[in-house]
Amino acid sequence: MWRYIVRRLMWVVVVMLVITLVTYLIFFVLSPSDPAVAFAGRQPTPEIVAEVSRQFGLDKPVYVQYALFVKRLFLGDEYGWPGLGFSFTTRSPVRDLLIDRFAVTAQLAFGAALIWLAIGIPIGVASAIKRRSLIDRLSMGFALFFVSAPVFWLGLMGLWLFWFKWHVSPGTGYVAIGESFTSWFGHMIMPWTVLALLYAAFYARMTRGNLLETMAQDYIRTARVKGLPEWKVIFKHGLRASLTPVVTMIGLDLGALFGGAIVTESVFNLQGLGQWAIQSVFNDDLPSILAVTVVLALAIAIANLIVDIVYAYLDPRVRYT
Amino acid sequence: MTGKRRRTLGLVGLALVWALVAAGCGADEKPAAPGAPAGERGGVFRTAVEEFNFTGAFDPTGEYLGAAWGYLQALTRTLMNYKHVAGTAGNELFPDLAADKPQVSPDGLTYTFKLKQGVKFGPPLDREITSKDIEYAFSRINNKALTAQYGFYYTVIKGLDTKATSIGDIEGIETPDDKTIVFHLTQPTGDFLYRLAMPATTPIPQEVAKCFTKPGDYGRFVISSGPYMIAGSDKLDASSCGAMKPISGFDPTKKLNMVRNPNYDQATDDLRSNFVDGISVTINTNTVDIFNRVQAGQLDSNYSSKPPRTVLAQYLTNPDKKKLLHSNSGDRTWYLYFNLLTPPFDDVHVRKAVNFVIDKAAMQQAWGGATGGRIATHIMPPEMLNNKLNESYDPYASPDHHGDEAKAKEEMKQSRYDSNKDGVCDHASCKNLLMVNRNTAPWTDAEPVVVESLKKLGIGVRPRELESSYDTIQIVKNMVPIALNAGWGKDYADPYTFASPLFESTSIIAEGNNNYALVGITQQQVQEIGIKAPSSGLPPSVDADIASCLKLPAVTPEEADARIDCWANFDKKLMEEIVPWAPYLWESVNTITNPSVTKFEFDQFAGLPSFTQIAVNNKVNANTLT
Repeated sequence: MWRYIVRRLMWVVVVMLVITLVTYLIFFVLSPSDPAVAFAGRQPTPEIVAEVSRQFGLDKPVYVQYALFVKRLFLGDEYGWPGLGFSFTTRSPVRDLLIDRFAVTAQLAFGAALIWLAIGIPIGVASAIKRRSLIDRLSMGFALFFVSAPVFWLGLMGLWLFWFKWHVSPGTGYVAIGESFTSWFGHMIMPWTVLALLYAAFYARMTRGNLLETMAQDYIRTARVKGLPEWKVIFKHGLRASLTPVVTMIGLDLGALFGGAIVTESVFNLQGLGQWAIQSVFNDDLPSILAVTVVLALAIAIANLIVDIVYAYLDPRVRYT
Repeated sequence: MTGKRRRTLGLVGLALVWALVAAGCGADEKPAAPGAPAGERGGVFRTAVEEFNFTGAFDPTGEYLGAAWGYLQALTRTLMNYKHVAGTAGNELFPDLAADKPQVSPDGLTYTFKLKQGVKFGPPLDREITSKDIEYAFSRINNKALTAQYGFYYTVIKGLDTKATSIGDIEGIETPDDKTIVFHLTQPTGDFLYRLAMPATTPIPQEVAKCFTKPGDYGRFVISSGPYMIAGSDKLDASSCGAMKPISGFDPTKKLNMVRNPNYDQATDDLRSNFVDGISVTINTNTVDIFNRVQAGQLDSNYSSKPPRTVLAQYLTNPDKKKLLHSNSGDRTWYLYFNLLTPPFDDVHVRKAVNFVIDKAAMQQAWGGATGGRIATHIMPPEMLNNKLNESYDPYASPDHHGDEAKAKEEMKQSRYDSNKDGVCDHASCKNLLMVNRNTAPWTDAEPVVVESLKKLGIGVRPRELESSYDTIQIVKNMVPIALNAGWGKDYADPYTFASPLFESTSIIAEGNNNYALVGITQQQVQEIGIKAPSSGLPPSVDADIASCLKLPAVTPEEADARIDCWANFDKKLMEEIVPWAPYLWESVNTITNPSVTKFEFDQFAGLPSFTQIAVNNKVNANTLT
């Protein structure tokens, strides 16, 4: 297993290099405009553009820029490790911005994950156990609604109702947990819930489908015949096997959320990685684009690895060498 | 300290402050700027923006964003400045750090200023501002590495070429004593006083700024010379470069909080009223949420955010809310430009025909009607020309501004692209023309109006809506024949800031170009950039016209009048002879306030709400700003 993990980690490095190379090509080579022009003021002279280009390191050949980027990424730069340079927009070290933004996105992603698991799996189980009952129909109706409702709409409706009309929510924005736990929780509960409802719907349907399939297996019939109580048959034998794909999905969804919760972050004014990615693209802030790309690629790659390891633990038939 | 205890202490503090204020009310009232209606003192003006978007990281030397200049107006003073009010009064210059208008030599090449007494830097410094501090600001502008983005305005000063490799003395600036500064120019520059009102010329303390040798780095350490300072400035340890940490009140990703500068003396300032105790600008990426918070009273107004259509509609249709919507001229023109090197727009008759046919009233509707702005009838907004040339000058007038197809066709008949003289272009170059546009409203809403208007003349355009529309039209080699996304606002209240970047031949550069029409392009530039000149020849140049207006002085009211007349005639020449554009809108800036704003004022210089003239009654304690 350890050899497998080490091999996978090495592949992560290769994948990261490929992804950053492609990103470099897209934004540094194929871009229709020169970012140095964008940061040289609205009446740029060739001298100012050249000076900005030099300051940003854009005056070097692209392959030299990329080589320096890789070197600094692994060895660090004047701002620390990993070496991600400085933001063209704020002139601040990208590393510091990344840490701030990562913390916000991590809190959003993990909080939402807890909620969607807490909602989605029980609904899926109840729906599978009480198949074709009112509970089943209501549960699947819930799932259909929240799969269909756009996240931005849910967010705006939530804000209008809970903040604007009923004044029970503090509204948008982010307060660090160290500043005030209650304020932090109050600001996060709505984005968590809005993001979680979409995923809860998916997970409810997935859990229901998997559990129904598992409960039709021979070994479940055997367990019943042996006289086990029904709750043991469902939760100890049925659910464990049917949750294996769910584990896979959690890993992938969490990994993707680290760069993809753009809509939720924008609606709720949470300055996380997704929102930063969009702003950086619009602002031609190349170091920030690269930093988000690195983080997102790493998050998905690591998430995939963790999921595979957990899969092996859950399913004894799966073994890695 | 927990949040609950902090809130309790804050309330007690507020009550104490209120009691003190009530006791001293009337006895210690600081005078408002002369001529300005009185506002309630106190409170914190709270606003939000989607992002700061600074171009130079808020370093006054390099920062070229209009909104940033608005913030810097609260933090800094300059030799000359404005009253930060609306309209033509807001474009008028007055001495600020200068004790009086300068003495100008008869040849217009030497400007001598005496500085006011008693004007100090804010904390952590506590000393008077001297002429050397102003000279130091120019030395920073001259330093190539600090990338002064509008440093070219100061190359009229002898010895200043923005290429210096270190920060040193400038030959054309003398500081014979602490209160005198003399500028020696290389050429008469009638708008030189306006250039001295720009934030890059604000005095900068060398003892702090010398530590910041990279562009933008000083932006988190700006020392106040104005009525407000960045919150936390008093805690800045300026004892050494290594000891300095960014001032807490400014985080480019989160907030800009400003509080009163304790070293500021209102008696030295006739221009600013400074009613509020603090200014709080926070980042909020959700535009709708910003306006919801204004309505809910958590913010006092929007700042640079444009009100969405739905929000505007709410305020326009509700009489109680309508008084909370303020519309001011933004000194900005939106226009269709024509590439004068590209058929069919290399023919002036085609350009004139388009000016006649465009349905400007419909385009104004796309922008939200009269609230969006006034229909533009010529290049420069009327306030830039002291209203000497306003809407009444309309060389391409049409009934209700809906376009005049008949006149347009008459004009088209004179063009070489209408071979059968039926008023419709029948040349191949009129078909399938690329028209670049933005990919958001209101430009996308205005697009069908332009497409249909041009069709009447047989001009078929192929709109491309691009996120990178500005980048596209700024690359000359792209040779975009016509575009709808272009707009321009002033740098300062002299028409030179329209004329030079937009129509001067020296402004044409391969990338980052603003002279989209390529007025005055030379053969050498054509070859260097690698484009093709039309067989009809190169467009005419207006460089001589610009130079002749530029050198006119504007120190006395009579001189200023004559200079404005020159620019007004320049505008007319552009519209009637060169015709590089079809201007369609002088945009209005719309601000929505909460009733907590007891006195709203617009800063015509920054084109945004005026921090130094606005008053609120929200009773928020400025001590809560960190």
